[in-house]
Amino acid sequence: MVQPTYDSTPAVNGSLHSKGDSGKRHVRHLLANTFARYYFLFSILALCLVLGLVIVFIGKTALLLLGQISPADFFLSFNWTPEEDKFGAAAFIINTISLTALTLLISVPVSVGMAVLTAEIAPVWLKRFVRPILDLLVGIPSIVYGYLGLTVLLPLLRRASGESLGDGLLAAALVLALMVLPTIARISDDAITAVPGKYRDAAYALGSTRLQVILRVVLPAAGRGILAAVILGMTRAIGETMAVVMVIGNTPQLAKTLFTPASVLTSNIVMQISNVEFDSTWNYALHMMAFLLLLISFLLILVIRFLGRKRREG
Amino acid sequence: MKLFKKITFSALAAVFAVTASFAGAASAAGSLSGKITVNGSTALLPLTLQAAKEFQRMNPKVRIAASGKGSVTGPQAVKKGIADIGACDWDASIDVPGFKAFSGQVANKVAVIPFATIVNKNVGVDNLTTEQLKGIYSGKITNWKEVGGADADIVVITRAFGSGTRVNYQAKALAGGDIVKKEKNYKETGSSGDMKTAVATTPNAIGYIDLVYVSGDVKAVKYNGVAATSENVINGSYKIWAYGYYMTKGQPTGAVKAFIDYVQSKKFQQGSLKKLKFIPISAMK
Repeated sequence: MVQPTYDSTPAVNGSLHSKGDSGKRHVRHLLANTFARYYFLFSILALCLVLGLVIVFIGKTALLLLGQISPADFFLSFNWTPEEDKFGAAAFIINTISLTALTLLISVPVSVGMAVLTAEIAPVWLKRFVRPILDLLVGIPSIVYGYLGLTVLLPLLRRASGESLGDGLLAAALVLALMVLPTIARISDDAITAVPGKYRDAAYALGSTRLQVILRVVLPAAGRGILAAVILGMTRAIGETMAVVMVIGNTPQLAKTLFTPASVLTSNIVMQISNVEFDSTWNYALHMMAFLLLLISFLLILVIRFLGRKRREG
Repeated sequence: MKLFKKITFSALAAVFAVTASFAGAASAAGSLSGKITVNGSTALLPLTLQAAKEFQRMNPKVRIAASGKGSVTGPQAVKKGIADIGACDWDASIDVPGFKAFSGQVANKVAVIPFATIVNKNVGVDNLTTEQLKGIYSGKITNWKEVGGADADIVVITRAFGSGTRVNYQAKALAGGDIVKKEKNYKETGSSGDMKTAVATTPNAIGYIDLVYVSGDVKAVKYNGVAATSENVINGSYKIWAYGYYMTKGQPTGAVKAFIDYVQSKKFQQGSLKKLKFIPISAMK
């Protein structure tokens, strides 16, 4: 990154050379700084613009729905039969929230545990082995996880549960947990590594055991970083589509058990969006679901941030 | 900010220049050059890809881009101007149950697509009647022993609403019968490939797919005692088939017309199309 450094080292160097050289250097730095400033400004504005456009365009189409059916029908009804003009999305909304919660329930303890292991406990060779593997796992396309879920996980679940299909929230949550695990583990790992060594030294000096140091000192100190990791994992879980579609069963009904074939907002959108006419209530309903997904993830992030702040203050 | 404006302006200008030159190239194109975009049915995709390969070899200046999603995306893409040809498993220029006609579009018959009922390899049943299939898909029959198989729950796998395979299967194999969603043991898949994987990996599963995709991983069952083969479609004894169409905005012209002519030509119909297990349109007359 370009920093305004021309009053320190370059000036010293410049004074050794001719005056003109130092002047040029000054101008060059000034230009570079101006350019960098505009570049960053442009990047931020472009990002805001794109985000704004996404919200506006999805929102615009989504709100057309309200002219066609009442909000109560959309949000409170469990009947999604678009062929018969019934657009109740309540089941999808509840399924999406429960799937995300279940995913975090499975993946957070495991991934934070892995982070503690790699950052605090493991010998150097194991760290060197585990970290690149986690990095690699982040890069695997989600459809690969979905396919493995379909061909490996589902038969296992069928055998274990005695169900004849096996698709449902549990299968989807397991696949998602595996997908978000490396993300949460690696970022938590960085957060834990960043906790200053003197905290640990002080705790050990007071006679703490290693477990006490980790649980009472290191984890609370790394709390914000771990929270950020969980948020990232959660947003990935809530928006993930391709892997979920392959193992959740895609039946528009409320998931009463862990093995009920169900559908979440993302999977329902991807299954139907290409088969729907452009200017139809059905299309507006799908856009409304996408808009809702935006709102839900936004809301969840706010809630978690709020909780995090409260805990730090308390 | 001045510098910034200049950069933006020149970037915009460059984009315009590039776009203009592309547009110019396209309009100046001769009868057999240019770009043809094909969108729509996954059932017809293997055929389109093969035809495109051969057609491009004969006309090196023509570029053909083909992709597949669901049948209805074909005529929709044509309507929106995204695609020149919309591959569709039904005649989208007239009303069909669930879908309104796309006005102003011309349906060009390109192939006959046979569909087959498939089951997982562990299923002992190898013949199903119309009534039995109707029972299975409407949720009245839920156990394989009711249709002469082992005592096991039937896992129903179906395509999402709007799939051409589903439209045709429902109309022909189920004689217009309902496909009802059930509490359990019911699953929807998004494409022909997913359908095949799902049926192949789920014990006691039943599904449907175009004959082109059937291979050793799954078992095609007989329909009312008739095996799903090209011969039986041609001699009229196997009823589950449909014409595949290339939808175009108005009558096709130029390179698009030449491509459709090639697909309809005797050489392609009797050659590659047959090899892919589709059936030539002329065989049905």
